[in-house]
Amino acid sequence: MLQKREKVLLLRTFQGRTLRIVREHYLRPCVPCHSPLCPQPAACSHDGKLLSSDVTHYVIPDWKVVQDYLEILEFPELKGIIFMQTACQAVQHQRGRRQYNKLRNLLKDARHDCILFANEFQQCCYLPRERGESMEKWQTRSIYNAAVWYYHHCQDRMPIVMVTEDEEAIQQYGSETEGVFVITFKNYLDNFWPDLKAAHELCDSILQSRRERENESQESHGKEYPEHLPLEVLEAGIKSGRYIQGILNVNKHRAQIEAFVRLQGASSKDSDLVSDILIHGMKARNRSIHGDVVVVELLPKNEWKGRTVALCENDCDDKASGESPSEPMPTGRVVGILQKNWRDYVVTFPSKEEVQSQGKNAQKILVTPWDYRIPKIRISTQQAETLQDFRVVVRIDSWESTSVYPNGHFVRVLGRIGDLEGEIATILVENSISVIPFSEAQMCEMPVNTPESPWKVSPEEEQKRKDLRKSHLVFSIDPKGCEDVDDTLSVRTLNNGNLELGVHIADVTHFVAPNSYIDIEARTRATTYYLADRRYDMLPSVLSADLCSLLGGVDRYAVSIMWELDKASYEIKKVWSNKTLADSLDNANDPHDPIVNRLLRSMATQAMSNALYFSTGSCAEEEFHHYGLALDKYTHFTSPIRRYSDIVVHRLLMAAISKDKKMEIKGNLFSNKDLEELCRHINNRNQAAQHSQKQSTELFQCMYFKDKDPATEERCISDGVIYSIRTNGVLLFIPRFGIKGAAYLKNKDGLVISCGPDSCSEWKPGSLQRFQNKITSTTTDGESVTFHLFDHVTVRISIQASRCHSDTIRLEIISNKPYKIPNTELIHQSSPLLKSELVKEVTKSVEEAQLAQEVKVNIIQEEYQEYRQTKGRSLYTLLEEIRDLALLDVSNNYGI
Amino acid sequence: MAGLELLSDQGYRVDGRRAGELRKIQARMGVFAQADGSAYIEQGNTKALAVVYGPHEIRGSRARALPDRALVNCQYSSATFSTGERKRRPHGDRKSCEMGLQLRQTFEAAILTQLHPRSQIDIYVQADGGTYAACVNAATLAVLDAGIPMRDFVCACSAGFVDGTALADLSHVEEAAGGPQLALALLPASGQIALLEMDARLHEDHLERVLEAAAQAARDVHTLLDRVVRQHVREASILLGD
Repeated sequence: MLQKREKVLLLRTFQGRTLRIVREHYLRPCVPCHSPLCPQPAACSHDGKLLSSDVTHYVIPDWKVVQDYLEILEFPELKGIIFMQTACQAVQHQRGRRQYNKLRNLLKDARHDCILFANEFQQCCYLPRERGESMEKWQTRSIYNAAVWYYHHCQDRMPIVMVTEDEEAIQQYGSETEGVFVITFKNYLDNFWPDLKAAHELCDSILQSRRERENESQESHGKEYPEHLPLEVLEAGIKSGRYIQGILNVNKHRAQIEAFVRLQGASSKDSDLVSDILIHGMKARNRSIHGDVVVVELLPKNEWKGRTVALCENDCDDKASGESPSEPMPTGRVVGILQKNWRDYVVTFPSKEEVQSQGKNAQKILVTPWDYRIPKIRISTQQAETLQDFRVVVRIDSWESTSVYPNGHFVRVLGRIGDLEGEIATILVENSISVIPFSEAQMCEMPVNTPESPWKVSPEEEQKRKDLRKSHLVFSIDPKGCEDVDDTLSVRTLNNGNLELGVHIADVTHFVAPNSYIDIEARTRATTYYLADRRYDMLPSVLSADLCSLLGGVDRYAVSIMWELDKASYEIKKVWSNKTLADSLDNANDPHDPIVNRLLRSMATQAMSNALYFSTGSCAEEEFHHYGLALDKYTHFTSPIRRYSDIVVHRLLMAAISKDKKMEIKGNLFSNKDLEELCRHINNRNQAAQHSQKQSTELFQCMYFKDKDPATEERCISDGVIYSIRTNGVLLFIPRFGIKGAAYLKNKDGLVISCGPDSCSEWKPGSLQRFQNKITSTTTDGESVTFHLFDHVTVRISIQASRCHSDTIRLEIISNKPYKIPNTELIHQSSPLLKSELVKEVTKSVEEAQLAQEVKVNIIQEEYQEYRQTKGRSLYTLLEEIRDLALLDVSNNYGI
Repeated sequence: MAGLELLSDQGYRVDGRRAGELRKIQARMGVFAQADGSAYIEQGNTKALAVVYGPHEIRGSRARALPDRALVNCQYSSATFSTGERKRRPHGDRKSCEMGLQLRQTFEAAILTQLHPRSQIDIYVQADGGTYAACVNAATLAVLDAGIPMRDFVCACSAGFVDGTALADLSHVEEAAGGPQLALALLPASGQIALLEMDARLHEDHLERVLEAAAQAARDVHTLLDRVVRQHVREASILLGD
């Protein structure tokens, strides 16, 4: 039934000779067409997606359109898209893996109405390439031929629009077949989607940036950067150890100068390098962007540089020269990029004055990304003036070696600068968090629980499950009013005197079938995102806040684990493997100062790297351990409502005890490879969740202090503790607001701080001297003041406003004595309350500012925060504290 | 350029086959008159020619003769023009020796050697592309053509493993991509394995699936070869009948 054809390929070898290769090519009569109009559904054997039946036409993009306008084809409004295999292969071969994977994901996405038609394997659609025919012409011809076949296959019932950028093709094929129209992409958008404004804008911006690129390549003036080496040379170099592969990590605080390459996998093993490699300056970074997988060549030892240890601000990148850097470390330069990890970037257009200073070329505009680590991006747009006050999303297209800055195009507007919603949207985009509401298809899978038709425990399930409703007293340890209660406890004395301890966890997997729409969505989200004032759920609220939540007084399904504890062994159980860690923390404390204790505790755990999920199949058993908890084996299990990893663990457990005797369960489990992939995704999402939580907290802190005048307002002055010492300043922790930040002892004019007898500080000429645990500032007239580690000082909090980036909090030491308030202790006790008050107050002010907009204060979130701040010796709080500490900024490892 | 995608998301391989599908097989028996048996097979673009002489008296050193069974002697060679680049390959290089040895093991298992003690059977195979499977299939047909009694057909097929799916009958492109590859020679009637070879690392969990894919492909090959033999016999009997 298969037809064998031969495909002759002429390849050029590396030596320049031509090689004739004959490859087999098999054609088949039936290729799934994925159309509901198919006359022989049985023969076409449709599996997976079908095109929806409520479209007016099918659209078939040409290979060039798929390559250039894929972003527009991703719009969910565009329906009935058929990607031809020829076009997909053109993307794969000419656009690289990144874009191809994007296309693959689009095809896999059940929500998006598009399919792939394997036209090259269909015996009527396949056209061999003719002698002397160019690749491009052949691709266009194949796609058109397949489009015609598809039209006849659906019995001429559905008109087909082929969109192409090739004018010749439009002329040639335009009127050849009735029902198959050939038009340009722009024309298609104008005629069929006149109302889809976003798509039009995106199309214009892509067109413009492409035109710019063409012009530029014609100009090709002096090169700004050395060319990247070809892939084969890089791979050979990595193998021979000449080059080193790693991930580029730009220092947030010195984005122009310092970047580090973290060694990756094999290359760190065979080279004797222990530290990361410093990349000094933009030139050596050679067009790589934060997060790229790069290949680095080490410089000779005499060119090695040291990293700067002084505190510095982003806006003054030239001043670091005065500081003496630490001892030299391995330094290198980037010779090639293996994988570009470009994502969507939030940027700000320059203000009017800046536009004028940028010169006559007003069409091209340099925009500043929100993230300090990303270089400025050149955009060509005519809307610069209207977009001035907005946060905007852009994408990078290319970075030629002739250009100082990368080229990009405008994608969409997020919101006004300084506006709470706009800033939150910025944080979400910067962390690649997408929180579109759950779609109808997803909600259809959900059980119904309305007052009209309340959800009930089904009788079959009731039989299968063990009934704990009568026999056990189950209680929750979440605060009152908590919506998503995913774990509860029970304890009772058995007849034989032993204790029975039970942990009951919401049975989410009962409601979320593997590979259902909702499962796929939850997997993409991976976790519930908690921001300071709101949360974005992983599962729809009908599950997370209702049916899966183990609320009081209602019947719910649960997964339970019971332990029977002997009276005697109960004592032994108390010796937990965590004890070593808890001991060391308890010994290192200062009995007089609870704040220092808290700091010490947090710093001890900060030194540990974050725990990650991994697939047990991919590591040796000796490598399984959780360092922070000092446990051999550890996994999350108790919060399936807000963590996808727990859902996976639940499924594995269920399969292991084969509670469900269904056979398909086995097929639904992940293989080791899939699990590894999934773990990487979940780890990445968790980090994004932590970053977004931290950034949103900072946002609220800044908004809280924004309108206050630091000179007069009482609450802008507070007590601070020094927890780290740098050459020109100290790092402070302010327990009242939970703020951490840097304070300078030497200002920009080179003056140092001095504290008079009244302990008020002023700036005077002098010098600083740094010791291991103290720093002394001596003025020229002989006065000196010393700051020790863990000293209390009085600080003034002010806001450094920034247009392009997030606002930052500035700390200024105004006295070397603790802030005098008679009942200091009381304030510390109430500090967590203040934090939630802070959120409340900011939200309230936002509400007042925009009366029309209703902003809901999420009370649960506050209590959640309050709950996590409670002090106590229980193991649970320790665990929660460690989780809290996972909030530390990972990108912060270098500068400060 | 992105790496070659051996198995697409839609389940197609590079050449358009699905995971379990064989390449096109064409075979002919009795291609040479002077040999006792001969056969020619094409599996996709892999072509193999097998010639069988014997059973006859031991040639050369008589010491090699076995008292209880026949000696199976196999030689393999590949044509100079058979690979991407034309290259002269000497007789008896390591690769063809190994292939000869494997063929010998396979056919010692299949031929009823004890019927012909103290004699010798020569199998000469020349292949283009040089896969073990094509050689075995060609040699089977040649041995059948020579009328040497065998336990059963020996049918061989290769199988590979890509992205959690077992692929039957690897083409040259798929072999060159460097994944695990397994060669299996099967006696289809009894399901006995005459030879199984794999020299790459593959997780134990997957082995069963790959083996099953290869075995299924080998059974498919058997139906095809069986058809060829019957056709040949029919033609021969018509000739004899005249």
